[in-house]
Amino acid sequence: MNLLESIRVALEGIQANKLRSFLTTLGIVIGIAAVIAVVAIGQGGQAVLMAEMEKVGTNIFFVSVDWNDESSHKGFSAGDVQVLKDRLPGITHLSANSSNTDNVRGPKKKKYCTVQGVSSDYSFISKMTMKEGRFFSSGDDGLGRRVAVLDEALADEIFGRADPVGNMVSIGSTPFLVIGLVAKGESIFGFSENVNAYIPGKTWRNIYGSYISNLQGSAVSKEKVQETMEQAVKVLERRHPGVQYTSQSMEQIKQSAGKITGIMTLVISAIAGISLFVGGIGVMNIMLVSVTERTREIGIRKALGARRKDILVQFLIESVVLSVLGGIIGMAVGIGGAFIIAKVAKWPPLVSWWTALLAFAFSACIGVIFGLLPANKAAKMDPIEALRRD
Amino acid sequence: MIQVSRLVKIYSAGEIQVVALQDVSLEIAAGEFVSVMGPSGSGKSTLMNILGCLDTPTSGSYKLDGVEISSLDDTGMAKARNLKIGFVFQNFNLLPRMTALRNVEIPMLYAGIDAKERVKRATAMLERVGLAGRINHRPSQLSGGQVQRVAIARALVNEPAVLLTDEPTGNLDTTSGEEILAIFQDLNRNGATIVLVTHERDIALHTSRIIHFRDGRLVDDEKVDSPLDAVEQLKKQRTVPAALSEGTRFAQTGEGDAR
Repeated sequence: MNLLESIRVALEGIQANKLRSFLTTLGIVIGIAAVIAVVAIGQGGQAVLMAEMEKVGTNIFFVSVDWNDESSHKGFSAGDVQVLKDRLPGITHLSANSSNTDNVRGPKKKKYCTVQGVSSDYSFISKMTMKEGRFFSSGDDGLGRRVAVLDEALADEIFGRADPVGNMVSIGSTPFLVIGLVAKGESIFGFSENVNAYIPGKTWRNIYGSYISNLQGSAVSKEKVQETMEQAVKVLERRHPGVQYTSQSMEQIKQSAGKITGIMTLVISAIAGISLFVGGIGVMNIMLVSVTERTREIGIRKALGARRKDILVQFLIESVVLSVLGGIIGMAVGIGGAFIIAKVAKWPPLVSWWTALLAFAFSACIGVIFGLLPANKAAKMDPIEALRRD
Repeated sequence: MIQVSRLVKIYSAGEIQVVALQDVSLEIAAGEFVSVMGPSGSGKSTLMNILGCLDTPTSGSYKLDGVEISSLDDTGMAKARNLKIGFVFQNFNLLPRMTALRNVEIPMLYAGIDAKERVKRATAMLERVGLAGRINHRPSQLSGGQVQRVAIARALVNEPAVLLTDEPTGNLDTTSGEEILAIFQDLNRNGATIVLVTHERDIALHTSRIIHFRDGRLVDDEKVDSPLDAVEQLKKQRTVPAALSEGTRFAQTGEGDAR
């Protein structure tokens, strides 16, 4: 039979049983809406995360001691930074980082927070913006001066309204001169809500011991990162025989973070997809009812010359129309939901055209798969029996 | 047009076998108006189902328009029903949600005729059975006689070789029934081959040949010398006071005139 005519008959059937059709499609609506919303929010979140990491800088790398190797307890020495910078032209900045938590006491109150011992290059690598004052210089580091740079949030908390720069704080029991404030970034993820105190690496080692946890550097370009990083590991291994190092670039972190958020989105949408399956069963159920109700119609159509195929196609189309209608409504609800949630979570919802297309195709597939059994039942009906039925 | 020879139909339900048709041979020529009579269980409905390509015989041969039907597969049977046979049922069997026009379009739909042609032919056919002003009415908005006329239009629209009709007047009042018979007689005069199943002799007498069935056998082939003319019958009925004749209202609208 004519395709258009089949669709017309299907729509008339749906119209004749509005409430029933609506309830039947509800399962599909919820399933499609859930999948679309989850994917949109997931992709939005991923995009924000990626942008954030991009902002941190894709040419950044980290080298640390491979702690799986029991023998290495003393991974880095204070001289490593200068040696690496001299030997490897791919490195623009390099910082030896140590970190600890301690009390930082200001005139207003004290705060137990992270105290980072870093090199002067750290401010370049981390793309710090100074709100006030300056970051410490390599001279400050070399001499192990007791100067500190505070994150704005930390300064606000321990100084209150007093001006921090030029005043003293005590870190642990050691007094430090505050020489600068790091401005808050405009990060959406709250990366900038750091509450750290930064002190020169040498000063840190003087107080807390000679331990350096990792080296953090930036390469001349994104393309050079991998190579530079590997070279750095080689140089270090030569300088410290028996110690094994691992390196990681921001690019790698970004990629694995992307992979993880991608997998999470997939897993959650798969769970949401279960409701699609349940919705499909609902469609099958109502189609079976419809076939039984319309036994006589099937008999009449067969008597008038409908082949099995015609009846099969008619009921399949009806099931597909029902599912696709659910799919379209679900798409609207899902996109709407994604926008609302994104607005609350403050990140852009990403509804890609392929998600919408996939949802549409998927609901049509559900219609075909779950319509097949009822349609086949209709097609196989004996016309004489069917005509006899009331 | 119809050649049936040594037709046997046995229904088996488990162990029990019911012989519905026993060695039936029969020939109906093109242009004949034949009625099939018999009490219920005589096998006349089984014969109709086989003639209508809705059922296949257990053995024997059935040739319709020169084609052996028992050799056809499901699709072939559907095609035969679609193009060679027009059904008119006792209980009309229109699709209730569709208008008269769309009901008449259905056989053409399965014949693969395009929409424009369908509407044209369906409209013409409905006009021919006197329903020009009713083409967009649903069955529930029509009287029984009008519904049966829609069914006749539907049966004829693919220009079938044979019109098969099973108790077409069974659910109608006398006047409407007579109007339907008038249409059949008119069609027959214009060359249509019609087979009519009935258990009422009054109805059968409108045809030129009556085939009698009993216990699955053809027991008598009766020739009717002067069949009743439905138009004459209608004229007689109109002399009866209107109040006594149910459904006269429709007869007097003059739409029944298929002459």
